[in-house]
Amino acid sequence: MTSRALAWRTMTAQPGRAGLAIAGVAVIGALLFDMLLLSHGLLLSYRALLESAGYDVRVVSVDNPIVRMPIPEATAVARAVERLPEVREVAILRRARAAVLAPGRKPADVTLLSVSPRADRLAWRIVAGDDLMVQQHLTDPPPLVINRKLAETLSLSPGSTVRVRLALADASALPAVAFRVAGICENLFDTAADLTASTDADGFERARAGFGDEAEVLLVASRPEFGPTAAVAAIERLRPNLRAYSNEQIVAQINENGFAYFRQISFVLSSITLGFAFLLIATLLTVSVNQQLGQIAALRALGFPRSRIAATLLWESAVLVGVGGVLSIPIGWALASILDRILRDMPGISERVHFFVFEPGAIVVHLGLLAATGVAAAAYPVWIATSLPIAATLRLETIS
Amino acid sequence: MTPIVEGRGLTRTFPMASGPVTALRDVSIEIAPGEYVAITGPSGCGKSTLLHLLGCVDAPTEGSLVFEGRDVARLGESARSRIRLTRIGFIFQRFFLLPMLDAWENVELPQAEVGVAPDDRRQRTRELLEYVGLSDRAHHRPSQLSGGEMQRVAIARALANRPALLLADEPTGELDEDTGEQIGELFDRVHADGTAIVVVTHNPLLARRARRHLAMKRGALEMTQS
Repeated sequence: MTSRALAWRTMTAQPGRAGLAIAGVAVIGALLFDMLLLSHGLLLSYRALLESAGYDVRVVSVDNPIVRMPIPEATAVARAVERLPEVREVAILRRARAAVLAPGRKPADVTLLSVSPRADRLAWRIVAGDDLMVQQHLTDPPPLVINRKLAETLSLSPGSTVRVRLALADASALPAVAFRVAGICENLFDTAADLTASTDADGFERARAGFGDEAEVLLVASRPEFGPTAAVAAIERLRPNLRAYSNEQIVAQINENGFAYFRQISFVLSSITLGFAFLLIATLLTVSVNQQLGQIAALRALGFPRSRIAATLLWESAVLVGVGGVLSIPIGWALASILDRILRDMPGISERVHFFVFEPGAIVVHLGLLAATGVAAAAYPVWIATSLPIAATLRLETIS
Repeated sequence: MTPIVEGRGLTRTFPMASGPVTALRDVSIEIAPGEYVAITGPSGCGKSTLLHLLGCVDAPTEGSLVFEGRDVARLGESARSRIRLTRIGFIFQRFFLLPMLDAWENVELPQAEVGVAPDDRRQRTRELLEYVGLSDRAHHRPSQLSGGEMQRVAIARALANRPALLLADEPTGELDEDTGEQIGELFDRVHADGTAIVVVTHNPLLARRARRHLAMKRGALEMTQS
């Protein structure tokens, strides 16, 4: 009989103990799995969000990709950037605070967006009605795509007519301009509470009534033969007063600054869960060994080598941790889904951002950590079992 | 005839908090092949300590022990384990069968450890369970066996690898008189089949079956009677 079979028989002889141990490992393992998903989840999610827009470089006016200041003379800058050999496409993203006025409703404060024609297809997903491009030929009134939240707030549907008044700091008395709701969308970067409306460049120009030519950010797609790093360098050479960031750089900055808290929390909680797993397995195996000291001493007296005893205990630990570890993955995934939903309800979080993101590597790390914990947890009971004095133990176990 | 095991001037001292305790002092003993020896004496006189030294599970503080011509003190742990596994059989007062294995598996286990082929193992296990009269209880776990049956399984397990020396420490200590008699009869058969036996016992009926009787007192051999 192999050590593995002996370990299996030891555990199945006490199904209650084995079941409780496996359940304990599964629950603790689920928490560990969630911490691993959390440690990289936001970063992976944010990277996916950036990449889903179809642009790999962002150009802003200050040395920080998160704090946005307007880029002056945006149209001219965009044209100059688009002429660079490293650049395939440039989109201008404009943003302003505005009030949307619907008949019989209180005005709604919204964010009005305008994205260059080729970018709009990636910034949102139409769920009802038409996209801006479809109705470009209908010039009056200009089209508006609104998000679900705004549609619900003002009871709007495709075909509704609204008026929009921009709230620019230097032009507070702008007239309200009529817009026709072309479609309802899900916006990539919206939070659950955001009210957003998007229009084309012409519509934004009308609402702005010619005040300034500022952009929030320029979205740049590099040519594949050059890549984003070369595009970033070329743009900064062209316009030293602007800052260009590749998606990689943005993710790296966020990783260093914004998500450091999540990493630290995840590290601390992972360490604690591993500690619990260690204590659980070590306690169970130690109790088990202490209950079997007589049998172990007898086996040693019968000539079973220390390595055999150690291997049996290691197998016992491996089976407990292995079965519990595998069960912990679906449990952890279910738990992660619930926690993700709760966290995404926080104000200011885009609906497309996820805190817990699955990646195959997480399973490998998860099982590796549990395996190492299982081996470490078995170390003490293995030491007890292999170093016990045979004669003294037999004597004690006989008289006790 | 070369003895199976030969101890010269065996002394075993245990360090205790209140000072060292000498459980065995200057004992010399030889066990020849096929011998049947009983060791008796009051509790704490060193009988089990001597048995453990003869079985290579403990080492003397002083003196020398030679097992089948090999100085045990010079052997490493794995070599001593190998001697115990292949040349010595142990029987304990409390049986110490593995509770999760049935009688068959308990008897098969030491053979598997040595690497006996499965077919040979099955054959040997069948023979041994027949030998101890438990063929019909082969697939019962220890918890489903009586004390006498458990001790018979333990004897079959001890004989599994055809040891030259069978060591038994109070083998009837947990059994009633009739069952003890049955174990005694089984020892007679084992002895008759050529295996040397050393039995430590308080049971005078069992001791009387041995061909040589050693009496111990305060860690020393007091009397040898053949």
